[in-house]
Amino acid sequence: MADLRPSRSRFCPRLTAAFLCVFLLVFLHCASASRDAVSGGNDTGIRPVRSTQEDPHDHHGNSTEHKKAFPVLAFNFEHVRKPFEISMWILLALLMKLGFHIIPRISHVVPESCLLIVVGLLVGGTIKAVEGTNAPVLDSKLFFLYLLPPIILDAGYFLPIRPFTENLGTILVFAVLGTLWNVFFIGGTMFAVCQIEGAGLGDVNLLSCLLFGSIISAVDPVAVLAVFEEIHINELLHILVFGESLLNDAVTVVLYHLFQEFSREGSVSVGDALLGVVCFFVVSLGGILVGFIYGILGAFTSRFTSHTRVIEPLFVFIYSYMAYLSAEVFHLSGIMSLIACGVIMRPYVEANISHKSYTTVKYFLKMWSSVSETLIFIFLGVSTVAGPHVWNWTFVVFTVFLCLVSRVLGVIGLTSIINKFRIVKLTKKDQFIVAYGGLRGAIAFSLGFLLTDSKMKHMFLTAIITVIFFTVFVQGMTIRPLVELLAVKRKKESKGSINEEIHTQFLDHLLTGIEDVCGHYGHHHWKDKLNRFNKKYVKKWLIAGERSTEPQLISFYNKMELKQAMMLVEGGSSAKLPTVMSSVSMQNIQPREPPRRRAMPNISKSREEEIRKILRANLQNTRQRLRSYSRHDLMIDPFEDNVSEVRLRKQRVEMGRRVTLMSFHLCLPEHQVFTYDDTESPRSAEMKPGSAAVQLLNESPQRSDQSDAEPNAKQDDQEEQLKLSRCLSDPGPNQDQLEQGSLVS
Amino acid sequence: MGSSSSSTERIPDAQELMQETGFSAAHLVRLYERFEFLDKDDRGELRLDDFEAVSELAMNPIGDRIIGAFFSPGRETVDFPSFVRILAHFRPTDTNRTRNGRNGAQPEPANSRTSKLKFAFQLYDQDRDGKVSREELLQVLRMMLEMQVTEEQLQSIAERAIQEADLDRDDAISFDEFKKSLEKVDIEHKMSVRFLE
Repeated sequence: MADLRPSRSRFCPRLTAAFLCVFLLVFLHCASASRDAVSGGNDTGIRPVRSTQEDPHDHHGNSTEHKKAFPVLAFNFEHVRKPFEISMWILLALLMKLGFHIIPRISHVVPESCLLIVVGLLVGGTIKAVEGTNAPVLDSKLFFLYLLPPIILDAGYFLPIRPFTENLGTILVFAVLGTLWNVFFIGGTMFAVCQIEGAGLGDVNLLSCLLFGSIISAVDPVAVLAVFEEIHINELLHILVFGESLLNDAVTVVLYHLFQEFSREGSVSVGDALLGVVCFFVVSLGGILVGFIYGILGAFTSRFTSHTRVIEPLFVFIYSYMAYLSAEVFHLSGIMSLIACGVIMRPYVEANISHKSYTTVKYFLKMWSSVSETLIFIFLGVSTVAGPHVWNWTFVVFTVFLCLVSRVLGVIGLTSIINKFRIVKLTKKDQFIVAYGGLRGAIAFSLGFLLTDSKMKHMFLTAIITVIFFTVFVQGMTIRPLVELLAVKRKKESKGSINEEIHTQFLDHLLTGIEDVCGHYGHHHWKDKLNRFNKKYVKKWLIAGERSTEPQLISFYNKMELKQAMMLVEGGSSAKLPTVMSSVSMQNIQPREPPRRRAMPNISKSREEEIRKILRANLQNTRQRLRSYSRHDLMIDPFEDNVSEVRLRKQRVEMGRRVTLMSFHLCLPEHQVFTYDDTESPRSAEMKPGSAAVQLLNESPQRSDQSDAEPNAKQDDQEEQLKLSRCLSDPGPNQDQLEQGSLVS
Repeated sequence: MGSSSSSTERIPDAQELMQETGFSAAHLVRLYERFEFLDKDDRGELRLDDFEAVSELAMNPIGDRIIGAFFSPGRETVDFPSFVRILAHFRPTDTNRTRNGRNGAQPEPANSRTSKLKFAFQLYDQDRDGKVSREELLQVLRMMLEMQVTEEQLQSIAERAIQEADLDRDDAISFDEFKKSLEKVDIEHKMSVRFLE
């Protein structure tokens, strides 16, 4: 019995989702069909021809000739057709995403991208069957201008800088040299294959093959993100594959345009090849420069937004999008521009914008990129059904085979070169994962789609789609068991640790010093120089107010304090409430007290004011440091997890908190500034009194009152809750302070 | 190899040093050249003012400690072997060496993870009692944060750091606790200098 019910509840959402989709689709097509009917009806009908843009409500004005009943209900679909269709597609994508997460079994085995492609196939098939004509295809313009930027911005903005810069050399080698190797190997070998008699490929010349090679070689960031996120691989491998997929855009862009031009011309000279090399540098560096400029602009603008907090997130988005578009105008690498913009902008913007704006930026980016990714995969499925396919066994099979072979050879070859320069070498396991993670995706498809129409294009498209399917399905599905089989190091969940931060900074200084002693201008030396430059000049310009001089350690510390305070507010105290009650923990409190007590009597009232001011200023603009960069982390971020778990016990928490609040309010009526900090710190027995300063706000008599109050609290919490609700219903000045600092998220 | 072996002849006890520290002949020669460069008065040993002449070290917040680390306790000069021994801590870890294991007689190589961490720990622990007390931590924090923070902020940070790391509740950080708090950091990478490949 018990088994039956859960399975049924698991079954229902899937069915519901499926029915919903089919229903939506049918509705959509009925609507489009009825549109014809309506407009046709009108033409022959009573009223004169009306344009589709005309407001349906003023049609009664036209019917002067014939007396017609006032239409209470009218049907005008054409009016809203385009937005309606877009919304339906997005709704479909979201429902699918929802559905997959309700069914845990499947999502463990099959990566989401595969499921989405399958859904796309089904939808495309349904549309083709129902309507018979072409389903909407993944239009390249739609893809490059609307679907791709959010994903890249999300990736770039939350790019983990430290591992990225530490491995930049390796990433660049893989991205540039690896892609070049892939292009020429695949292009050349395919040309050789095309020469084989009987394959029917004689008309494919070398340049076309190279063009094809340039399309199919690039590792796709969307696919990599989608698959790698779910397997939680260690940071190094993730950043290697992901960084490569981002940076190879420049190479892809250059080679694609190059070969396209050449195949149009028909021949290529040495001069052209040299120009191609120059073009590569222009494209990549130019893209980065454009992104850099917009990033600085964005950072600078955010300096002045303290009075208009509501529009702050928009600046981040718009500047980044403009960076992408501006780069695309000049045929520079839009992806690199977007990444550069996000990376440059982030530290300064985060220091300037409010906590709420930061949360907004984070959530909107994750949201958009999530929807985009889902739509991309669905459209891939739909386009597969739609497009005219030219299936050539030789071509397709060899393409798939060569893609694998060239990737493996490329990675092995390059690693042997790279390992000479790396401190931490790449092991065979690492190489395998890097090679296996070379997934192709929608970018390849869209680039192929941009080719001029011809039989060759369709053949190419078919091959591209086959490779995409192969990599996403086969490699995507098998990478997780392989990772487990090979016991590849997984991502370590790390909580922020002040010790780690202190020691890491210490080690940075130490290494810089040692490098100076050796006279060796290495990684640390330049990083230190950059930091100094940043601190001295850039921060003053780009960060508003007193935060421009805040050392990194202090910001980190404040973030941790804020995070802890929020955790306690949300529910950590429920766990602590019972332990505080128990006598054992009471004993644990005692030894802690003497050191704190020692500090307390020395602080005068004026110092207290100072401390409170410091806290207010520093805690106001802190944000949570995002340590991870994957899309799903919003759901599995340990902080959020705690929250969702504890919401079950929220009532007890609230009660406990209000009790303290109330008793605190009764004891110290004037200390009303930071409700959270003030209430939480005396509560937590074993909470590290993160700020001794905050501790100092409570004088010792109060604390003993607190500990006495607590046992009583449980007994008379009813009436106290009443009193409290009165207290809390009029927060008064707290609201203003909190508004700015937004400890309430 | 021929040219460098002739240069190593200038260096006293070159072979022993290479054996002890694991530096190759080329590295050793380069370090010797650097040693001679720093040794302005050609004394064959370095003094405090030689180190202070390195301009970047003056700007380093913990520059004094780093310089101090080169001098053995009680000595006022640094000779070449001591110089090299300290720098041996920052040689990249040889993965194959640690993989094959060591026979019991061989001491821990200077550039193993533990040795690197020990070296860093000793920079914190000035009085060499094996623990980093709150006061020592505060000193380091003061040095790193220079003039930018108030005393209260320093105190709270130090307080929090000790509470986070101090597992045996003795109000100080021992070497094992230090190691534990850094277990997620890639020390082999972080504390290595690429001398000459």
